[in-house]
Amino acid sequence: MPAILTRAIVMLLLTGYTAFAAGPFVWAAMMSLRTTTEISRNHFGLPFPPHWEKFGQAWFNSNYSVYFTNSAYVVATAVLVLTIVGAMAAHCLSRYRFRGNRFIYFLIFSAIIFPPQITIIALFQTLVTYGLYNNLAGLTLVYIALQLPLTVYILESFFARIPSDLFDAARMDGYSEWAIFWKVSLPIALPALATTVILNTILLWNEFLYAVVLITDEAKRTLPLGIQRFMGDQLEDVGMIATGLMIAIIPIVLIYAFFSEKLIQGMTAGAVK
Amino acid sequence: MATLTLDRLSKRYTSAQEVAVTDVSFTVADGEFMVLLGPSGCGKSTTLRMVAGLESITSGTLLIDGARMNDRPAKDRDIAMVFQSYALYPHMTVYDNLAFGLRRRSMPGSEIARRVRDAASTLGLDPLLQRKPHALSGGQRQRVALGRAIVRDPKVFLFDEPLSNLDAALRVGMRGELSALHRRLSATMLYVTHDQVEAMTMGDRICIMQGGNVAQIGAPLDVYAAPSNMFVATFLGSPAMNLLPAKLGPNRDVLHIGSQALRLSGPLADAAVRASSSDVLFGIRPEDVRSGSGNATLRACVLDVEPLGAETIVRLAPEGTSAEMLMRVPRTFSGRPDEIATITIDLAASHLFDPASTRRI
Amino acid sequence: MNHTAERPPWAAIIAFLLPALVIYTALTAYPVVRTFWNSLHKVLPNRPDEFVGLTNYATLLFTDDIFWRSVRNTLVWSVASPLFEVGIALLLALALYAKVPGARFFRIAWFTPVLMSYVVVGILWVWIYNYDWGAANASLRFLGLESLTRAWLGNPQTALPALILITSWMWTGFNMVVLLAALHSLPSEVIEAAELDNCGWSAKLWHVIIPLIKPTLLNLLVLSFIGKMKIFDLVWITTKGGPLWSTETVSTYLYKRAFEWSTFDLGYPSTIAAVWFVIIMGCVLGLTRLLRSRDRLEY
Repeated sequence: MPAILTRAIVMLLLTGYTAFAAGPFVWAAMMSLRTTTEISRNHFGLPFPPHWEKFGQAWFNSNYSVYFTNSAYVVATAVLVLTIVGAMAAHCLSRYRFRGNRFIYFLIFSAIIFPPQITIIALFQTLVTYGLYNNLAGLTLVYIALQLPLTVYILESFFARIPSDLFDAARMDGYSEWAIFWKVSLPIALPALATTVILNTILLWNEFLYAVVLITDEAKRTLPLGIQRFMGDQLEDVGMIATGLMIAIIPIVLIYAFFSEKLIQGMTAGAVK
Repeated sequence: MATLTLDRLSKRYTSAQEVAVTDVSFTVADGEFMVLLGPSGCGKSTTLRMVAGLESITSGTLLIDGARMNDRPAKDRDIAMVFQSYALYPHMTVYDNLAFGLRRRSMPGSEIARRVRDAASTLGLDPLLQRKPHALSGGQRQRVALGRAIVRDPKVFLFDEPLSNLDAALRVGMRGELSALHRRLSATMLYVTHDQVEAMTMGDRICIMQGGNVAQIGAPLDVYAAPSNMFVATFLGSPAMNLLPAKLGPNRDVLHIGSQALRLSGPLADAAVRASSSDVLFGIRPEDVRSGSGNATLRACVLDVEPLGAETIVRLAPEGTSAEMLMRVPRTFSGRPDEIATITIDLAASHLFDPASTRRI
Repeated sequence: MNHTAERPPWAAIIAFLLPALVIYTALTAYPVVRTFWNSLHKVLPNRPDEFVGLTNYATLLFTDDIFWRSVRNTLVWSVASPLFEVGIALLLALALYAKVPGARFFRIAWFTPVLMSYVVVGILWVWIYNYDWGAANASLRFLGLESLTRAWLGNPQTALPALILITSWMWTGFNMVVLLAALHSLPSEVIEAAELDNCGWSAKLWHVIIPLIKPTLLNLLVLSFIGKMKIFDLVWITTKGGPLWSTETVSTYLYKRAFEWSTFDLGYPSTIAAVWFVIIMGCVLGLTRLLRSRDRLEY
């Protein structure tokens, strides 16, 4: 078969796959700008005229703003605390030799493959006991614990690669171990920190299982819960749901638009062997 | 500036039972440049790090200007160290790298700025002050590392193989600059290296270490001319000193090399008398062997001739033995492989070594 | 040479590790232990735990049909989906590796499904699978294949495959990006040597390229396997385990037993969690051991 023909077939298949991969979103995006009446007439029509006011309606008339802010609060707090606590642990495990170092590292690292089921029931019980059930602070704590292993894993390997001469020089300059962490380790590890922040933000923004178990109050729902509720509420209002979906994925899309390379690298780095 | 005294300094790691450094003692006088020289693993870096305070001292005493330093943390010893890998903070500009150590010491900002600028101009770093390390060449990074030490105005400067990461041409230049810096600052400096050329050219005195112990201490040329044992003899000098198996005659006035004999006189004869056995190793440097006849001659079979332009290295085997030796001849050498040549030994520059103890007799 | 200070600065070490260890112990380690504890008890609200020994385990392993059905569903999912996800990803990666125009665009476009939450994906695909107007059946009708249209998520026979398609759709892009990176990191000398050896494209593929990226391939398969074993969100949004247990996974079953059905006993679902935990860890250890032995690659 002549090369041109093979090329053409390959391009056709690739374009077909792209339609398959991106199609659903394009469809949802189109529907988000059309009213449900327009949609029921023709589910695949183009949004002419585009009904931008639907976004405003979704945000203000339903509890969307509440869900969004809850998620933002929980995720931002969790990622902030998670990054600092994880960085401290990773710095310590990678730089100091002491008995039990590798044991602790292995303990934390192995938690990455734990299925959530092994902790969820007991976490439910614990949070209830301490009055943190149905409480955004409680959920935040759970989220911090959830992503800690992965964060420590990623940061530890990065910290370990910093040449130890830098730390010796800083010690001789009179810096305490704590100051060395803040002034030497963290600034140098900025790329890896950025990666973990992006990764954790996306994973926690989309987190559903723990949220659905630990939060029941309407006013405290995070976004994924809110969308599910939204879907239940609106039932057949496909147009509204589509708009809601678009709002939910906007932060992700923004991060992806600006940091796609970093994001892709961060999420796939560990998998290449 | 200050004196630095190491008194029987030793280091044993708790994990391993072997000792890394044993009983190292020497004093670096005020303003002196002392080189710690030896192959990798000999303990020189460990000794340096003990002086710096980066390794704990197992036994012995460390004194700077008479004050005991053993238990003082590194930052309180008033020393500065230049690392092999420069250890520059990659996220800071050159200016900040130089100022970093000073900021910790509650020094007024104006004082910090003054010191940084002085060091920068001494080292030619003025145009680079706002750059970050990754935008600097190897030589420039080296200078920043030096600058960081200079701004501290310490009592003692420590260097841990600072030139190893530079290419050969740069190394030659930096050697001269470091020596000039030493003269300008009249600073007390302790310098670790495995490169004997650096040691010979830069040191006021050198301390050769082997296997955790001090092998010999002295001025470079003294050590070169009178090595205390076989290790020092072969470590200094390139190509290395020839060590030929030889036998002393019954009266200890004749040295038999292969099937030939050399009549001994002077210090060499005295050494021969002191020898505990008649089996010795005869040491002579390649440059002290000349082609042609003279007072002490040997006949040797030419094995190989390597003309290098400025000189020629000739590999020979004295008649009656299969041991090989090297001879350095200025310019060219007329002999060819498999010919017998006549060579003259400068007995005044020769040594006898005891094969069992490896010490010079 | 690596110099170690033999007296580690304990104060600093503890200060750095304490927050992480406290969080880990309280919210990860302790819950694991508590779950195992629960599994040996009847755990009812407002009453002390009642020790029942291994009764829960016996009930679970020997009489609980739904559990075993869910295990089967989950395992089918965890084996089938990775094969699709990684297989198709490999083909796509090879296509891009062969310097097809627009590679950068394709890479970014194909990666997007992975970023979305399972909730969003679930809703989208519920619409796609809608019998009357969903994109799936609409396309079939468009191609004149009316007879193939189904109530994809409502039919016990097609529900699980339909869900497997969804996860494959999601993760193929991710795997493709990883494989492309792996392909690019291959030493070009080896590929060039194969060129010189006059290999045809398929021979080069089978004998040179695939063996070289085998570690990455296996790694992706294992990662995908683990991910599918844990799956909950997607099922919950689309089918909630129906119809007729055809898409019931271990995680949805556990959730129902613990938080939805009015039995209130948390001990039994904890048993499910404990058993599943052991199965997953066993699979992971077994897989890594099995695959590690084939991992010697020297070039």
